[in-house]
Amino acid sequence: MLRIPNFFSCLLIFASIGCDRMPGKPTVATPVAIGSSAWTQSTFDTNCRGCHSQGAEGAAIPLIDAGYWKVATDAQVIQVISHGQGVLMPSYLESNGGPMSAEQIAAFVKGMRSLWGAGSPGGQGGISDVVVAGNADAGAHVFASACASCHAAGGSAGSVTDPMYLKLISNQGLWSAIVYGRAALASPAWNEPMPNHPNGLTPTEVADVVSWIAQARPVSPANNQNASNAK
Amino acid sequence: MNRDAIIKLLKQPVQWVEERTGVIAFSAPLLTHHVPRSAKWWYVFGSATLMFFTIQIVTGVCLGTMYAPSASNAWESLRYIDEEIPLGWMLRALHGWSSSAMVVMMAIHMLQVFMHGSFKYPRELNWITGVFLLLTVLALAFTGQVMRWDQDAYWGLGIGAAIVDRVPVFGDQMRALMLGGPIIGGETLNRFFALHVFILPGAAIGLVGIHMTLIMKNGISEMPKPGEIVVPSTYRKEFEERMHKTGVPFFPDAAQRDMVFCGVCLILLVFLAAYYGPFGPGGMPDPTLINTNPRPDYPFMWIFGAVSLLPPASETAIMLISPVIGIAILVAVPFLSNSGERAPSRRPGMMLLAVFVVMAIVALTWEGVTSPWSPVMNGWSALPTPTQFVKGRTPLQMQGAVVFQYAQCRNCHELGGFGGKRGPALDEIATRMSPDQIVRQVQQGGGNMPAFGKNLNSAQMTAIVDFLSTLRPANEPDSTIPGAQLPLPIKSPLTLNEPFTGTGVPAEIATGASSR
Repeated sequence: MLRIPNFFSCLLIFASIGCDRMPGKPTVATPVAIGSSAWTQSTFDTNCRGCHSQGAEGAAIPLIDAGYWKVATDAQVIQVISHGQGVLMPSYLESNGGPMSAEQIAAFVKGMRSLWGAGSPGGQGGISDVVVAGNADAGAHVFASACASCHAAGGSAGSVTDPMYLKLISNQGLWSAIVYGRAALASPAWNEPMPNHPNGLTPTEVADVVSWIAQARPVSPANNQNASNAK
Repeated sequence: MNRDAIIKLLKQPVQWVEERTGVIAFSAPLLTHHVPRSAKWWYVFGSATLMFFTIQIVTGVCLGTMYAPSASNAWESLRYIDEEIPLGWMLRALHGWSSSAMVVMMAIHMLQVFMHGSFKYPRELNWITGVFLLLTVLALAFTGQVMRWDQDAYWGLGIGAAIVDRVPVFGDQMRALMLGGPIIGGETLNRFFALHVFILPGAAIGLVGIHMTLIMKNGISEMPKPGEIVVPSTYRKEFEERMHKTGVPFFPDAAQRDMVFCGVCLILLVFLAAYYGPFGPGGMPDPTLINTNPRPDYPFMWIFGAVSLLPPASETAIMLISPVIGIAILVAVPFLSNSGERAPSRRPGMMLLAVFVVMAIVALTWEGVTSPWSPVMNGWSALPTPTQFVKGRTPLQMQGAVVFQYAQCRNCHELGGFGGKRGPALDEIATRMSPDQIVRQVQQGGGNMPAFGKNLNSAQMTAIVDFLSTLRPANEPDSTIPGAQLPLPIKSPLTLNEPFTGTGVPAEIATGASSR
């Protein structure tokens, strides 16, 4: 006779303890803390990864890259994210029509650095991460000796003086392309061996060659706006 | 008191009631009526449907004590039931899963009746009440989805209203009747609430009553045997004789199988509810939130798939006429063939039809679930250009790859298996289209692709076309017509700088033949 009550009381205990902890119970979604690595990663994965990925993936500068964060300073990365850059990098700051507040952008940059920066505070690459004006005439010679064998019109790695290319990339973009290179695509960074420059370029030479390349950017009444945007 | 005296004492009130109502005499045949000896496991689906319906009523009444049917509180009250009420989420989960299970079980029951030809004489009205039960249950499922009052509900109503709106002449009035006004609002929820908890359940209970009465009147059909044909003039007499001779009482012979099957269904239902939890509520029903991906519940997924795949020109006609034709055909089934063979093996055409309908619904449901026509809205910013399409590209082509992301091409076009499926995958586009054709397609659109001509400047167009022209396997030629002149790059009117020809650069590289 005792068996049935025992069975039911066991069931009752099980029900009162167990049932309300089943996997199907909806959980109250806890908002992801801004600045946490999960937040940084998911923000990056939804908004940035399409162009800025890692290794040989993605067409723009990879951000999952310790080499990038060694040179790049937080101030400059915040500047680019907030206000966009060139023609193709959108601005993400609220006041520019973007989705993020200034605090969020700052936390995001800090989060990326802690995820991928390998402990570097930035600004350690021996060269500025912001474009510096140079001497175009001197740059002509740098280009001819160090760059032209691959990057002249028709060169094996493709022209960088193509006016269409220059209409899409800002001087800051040229600067970053030279400074960071793209190791996974066999493109040397600024201080890595190049033709006639076994130790790479000096910061002055980088500035000069950017100035020279930028001269090839077409300026006409019709694309004045684009040209000024690009700068 | 001895045992007999106790039984007598207990029997007295029962007899008192029975004498005045006859309820036992009336309901006893529900248990004792004879069913065919051959009615085995094929005959359990109707009972299971009824069990799910009972669960719906019980859980529905419980939910009705807590749900707030007002536009401003409905969504909150669901959160309240889920989070504050002990096991409230379980109640919602049972109601939701039992609803889907009822639709599925009903479809299986109907399929079994169709395949066994059980709708033939004298059970035509059994079938027809069943068809109306199906429609009632589907209406309950739809109105139940509206009760969640989330984004799915909101957009589901929007689509429903848009379909109703297309009715010629009376569209406006019908939409106003459905929504209780020109827009989806509080009135809409209240009339769907009235439908969901009063009108439709009442109709369903009435129809179940008629359905059961007809079953009692006409008996359960026997398992079909090839050669045993239904002749309306003699069927009833012969059937009743066979039942008298070889039939078995419903309880316990047939009922035990029903009970076993219903028990298994119940365990599965509780498992589903406990493991997967309640349906929704999804996001707030706010039409200004465009970052939403509304989907109908599963019973309507195939309709969602079918409507999404319709050619635009035929939408109105098909959406308005096909339900009418579909229901008419379902109602007409027993009239189209109410005698003759019942065995599936003697009705191959009907079996093929049933298989076709099931396959079509499964396939359309799959299409609805995956909805490959929907763009991947964050594809442009989330899916990186795959390595193989980045390696070995020129700076201009790399910029083209960025433009490809920037212009959100990726939302509709796959690269390397990732991206939208709305348009064709572009992994090998250069083998199909020449650069000139790509320029035309991007600029002017066509084939459901928007025109991007005004959104891309000449440099962006040049870069993107240059990039797309590289998308082909290394061992396949591009689509350039042999002997044709190479396409001219789109140049701006003022190309000022000639390539540098400084010292130390081989002339042929510096002046450069085209890389193409």
